[in-house]
Amino acid sequence: MAEATLPGVREDSPLVALLKDAGIAAAIAFLLALPLMGFQTLDSGTTVELQYRFHWVAIATVGVFFGRIVFTLLYRRAGAARSKAPGIVGQGMARVGEGLGRFLVPAFILFALILPFLPFADRREIDLATYVLIYVMLGWGLNIVVGLAGLLDLGYVAFYAIGAYSYALLAKTFGFSFWLCLPLAGILAAFLGILLGFPVLRLRGDYLAIVTLGFGEIIRVILVNWQPVTGGPNGISGVPRPTFFGLPFTNDPAEGETAFHEFFNLDFASLHRFIFLYYVILALVLVTNAVTLRLRKMPIGRAWEALREDEIACRSLGINPTNTKLTAFAIGAMFGGFAGSFFATRQGFISPESFTFIESAVILAIVVLGGMGSQAGVVVATLFLVLLPELAREFAQFRMLIFGAAMVLIMVWRPQGLLAHRAPTVSLGPGSGGAR
Amino acid sequence: MSGLAEGTLLQVEHLSMRFGGLLAVDDVSFEARTGEITGVIGPNGAGKTTVFNCLTGFYKPTHGRLSLHREGEIYLLEQMEGHKIAQDARVARTFQNIRLFPRMSVLENLMVAQHNRLMVASGYTFLGLFGAPSYLRAEREALDLCRYWLDRIGLAEFADDQAGSLPYGDQRRLEIARAMCTRPVLLCLDEPAAGLNPRESAELSELLVAIRDGAGSDGQKIGVLLIEHDMSVVMRISDHVVVLDYGRKISDGSAEEVRGDPNVIRAYLGEEEDEELPPEVVADLTQHGGETRP
Repeated sequence: MAEATLPGVREDSPLVALLKDAGIAAAIAFLLALPLMGFQTLDSGTTVELQYRFHWVAIATVGVFFGRIVFTLLYRRAGAARSKAPGIVGQGMARVGEGLGRFLVPAFILFALILPFLPFADRREIDLATYVLIYVMLGWGLNIVVGLAGLLDLGYVAFYAIGAYSYALLAKTFGFSFWLCLPLAGILAAFLGILLGFPVLRLRGDYLAIVTLGFGEIIRVILVNWQPVTGGPNGISGVPRPTFFGLPFTNDPAEGETAFHEFFNLDFASLHRFIFLYYVILALVLVTNAVTLRLRKMPIGRAWEALREDEIACRSLGINPTNTKLTAFAIGAMFGGFAGSFFATRQGFISPESFTFIESAVILAIVVLGGMGSQAGVVVATLFLVLLPELAREFAQFRMLIFGAAMVLIMVWRPQGLLAHRAPTVSLGPGSGGAR
Repeated sequence: MSGLAEGTLLQVEHLSMRFGGLLAVDDVSFEARTGEITGVIGPNGAGKTTVFNCLTGFYKPTHGRLSLHREGEIYLLEQMEGHKIAQDARVARTFQNIRLFPRMSVLENLMVAQHNRLMVASGYTFLGLFGAPSYLRAEREALDLCRYWLDRIGLAEFADDQAGSLPYGDQRRLEIARAMCTRPVLLCLDEPAAGLNPRESAELSELLVAIRDGAGSDGQKIGVLLIEHDMSVVMRISDHVVVLDYGRKISDGSAEEVRGDPNVIRAYLGEEEDEELPPEVVADLTQHGGETRP
C-alpha cells in the first residue's frame, strides 16, 4: 500500500491546494490592506477629506496572491532539499561562500581602499561609506560580546556614547588631539564595560538583556541631565575636527598653522576631509577585524565561545567565568568607544539624540542577522540594514515596512543568520602548524 | 576516622548537604586513593551526584570537610570556588547529561580544557596576540596532548567536526578526554556508561583502568571516582566501592565485600529479611558480580 490518506479526509490535488492557500493569503492581505492602504486622509486646510485608493488595495491583494504561490513553490523545493540532508541546512551555501570568500574578501578590501578615487565617488558616497563603516565597527565590537561570548547586550550604544562624549570633552577641554583621545576614549569605555559587567555577571539571557537595556538608558539619561558637563539635550557642538597629523583641513588656517592643502600644494577642497575621515574609519575597522580574528584563536577567544556554549562545563574545566565575561565586555566596549570618538569627530556635534535605544537595536540586529560570531556576516548585514535604508530614502513611507518584512523573511529562511558558517579556530594540520 | 594512609588523595569527612527540609547527603565519610578507582553506587536519589557537586564546587556543603592531598599540599575543596578546584586542586569531572561545547570542534573542546596553561603561556593574551615564540611552543604542546587523547579515544579523524554532531558514545568518551586534558589528579565521572551498549561499556572500562594506571601523557597514576548504575562496569573495575542510600553511607569496601553486604542487598532489593531471595535474583546478582576484575 502506498501512503494511505486518512479515511474521510479528502486530499486536494496540489494545484487546487496551492490556489486555495494563495487565495486565503490574498484574502487576509485584502482585509489588512483595506484599512491600511485603502484610505488616505487629506488635510485641506479646514476639513479633513478622505481619499480612496482602492487600486492600491487591488495591487497588494494580487501581489500577495502570486507572491504566495511563488513562495510556496520555492519553500517546497527548499523543504525537499532540507529533508534529504537533515541538520546541514545552509552548509552547502556556506561552503560555496567559503570558496568565494577567498576571492571576495580581498576584492572587498581592495574596493574599500580605492573607493574614494572611483569615478562615481563624490562627497555623498564617501560620507555614506563612512557611515556604513561606523556600523560595521560597532557590529564587530558587539559581535565579541553577543556573538562570541553569548552575552545578550541591549545597551551597547552606551559605550558608543561614552566614546563620543569622552572624545568631545577631552578634545574641547584639554585640547588633546584625536589620536591621543582615541585610546583614552577606548580605555574609558572598556572601564565602563567592566563596571557594567560586575553586577550582571550572574545573569544570563533575558535577565542580562534587561539589565544592559537599563544601563544604556541610564547613560542616556545622565547625558541629558548632567547639563554642566554634557550640555544636556543641546549636546556638545564645535567638537574639534580631525587634523592630518597636525595639518587642519581648513581653507583659512589659524596663524602659524599650515593647512593640509597648502602643505601638499593642492587646491582646497572640502572633499579632502571626507576622504581622510573615510580612511581613518577604514583603518579602525580593519584593525578591529584583525584583532578580533586573532583573539578568536587565542585561549581567551576559545574560552568566550566555550562560555557561550556551556558555562557550567567551563567552570568544571577551571575557566574563570568572571574574568572571561569581563574581558569580553571590556574589549567589546573598547571598540564601541573607538567608534564613538570617531563619530564625534566626524559629526562635530553630538547630543543624546544620537544614542537612543534604537541604535542598540540596529547594532544587535546587524550581529544577529549576519550570523552570531560571523565577521563577514556583520558586513553583509550592515550593508543590508544601514546602507539599503539610506539608499531607499525615496521610499521613506515604506522604509520600516520593507525593513520589517525583510527581517521576517530572513529569519524564516536563515534563522541562524546570513553567514552562519563557523570555521574551527584550530586544527591538526599535517605537521601541526597549530592555529595559524 | 583512621589517620591519613599512604596514597590517600581525597578525604571526605562528615559531609552533609541540606536542601531546605531535605537532607540529601547525611554525614558521609570516605576516602579515594591515587591509582585506584573508587566506585560510588546507590539507588536513585541516594545522593551520589550531590556528593560530586559538593566535591567540584557546584554546591557548598552544609557540613563536613573535603580535603584533597596533592604534592604534600592540602586543598580544602569545600572552601574553594568551582573553577579554582579544577585549576589548583586539579579535580576534573564529567556530567551525567553530557556537557560538551556542541558547536565547537572536537579539537577545540580539548583545547578549551587547557585554557589556564595556555593563558599563562600567552601572557594573558598580550604576548599571544603578537605570536610570541613561548606561546607558539605552548600551543604546540597543547595540540600534542589533544592529538594523544584523540588517538586514545579513536576520534582523531573527527577532530574538526562539531562536537555536538558526534554519536552519543563518542561524546561520552570525548567528555572524559576533555576532563583528562586538564591534567587532573582526581577524575570524577558521573555515570559514564549511561546509554552505552555492552561493547562500548567494555571499552569504557578499559579506558578507565588505563587512566587510573597513568594513561595521561605524563604517565602519572591518578585517582578515579566513579558514579555508575551499570553494575558490570562498577564491580569489574572498582578497587573500592562506597554504597550510599538515602544520603547515608551504608557500605564501604572492596567489590566482593560490598556485594555480600546484607545492607546493600536490602537497599537494592527492599526489606524482606525473613524471606529468601527469589532464585532469579540470586542468579542475577552472581552473574553481575561473578566477573572478576582484570
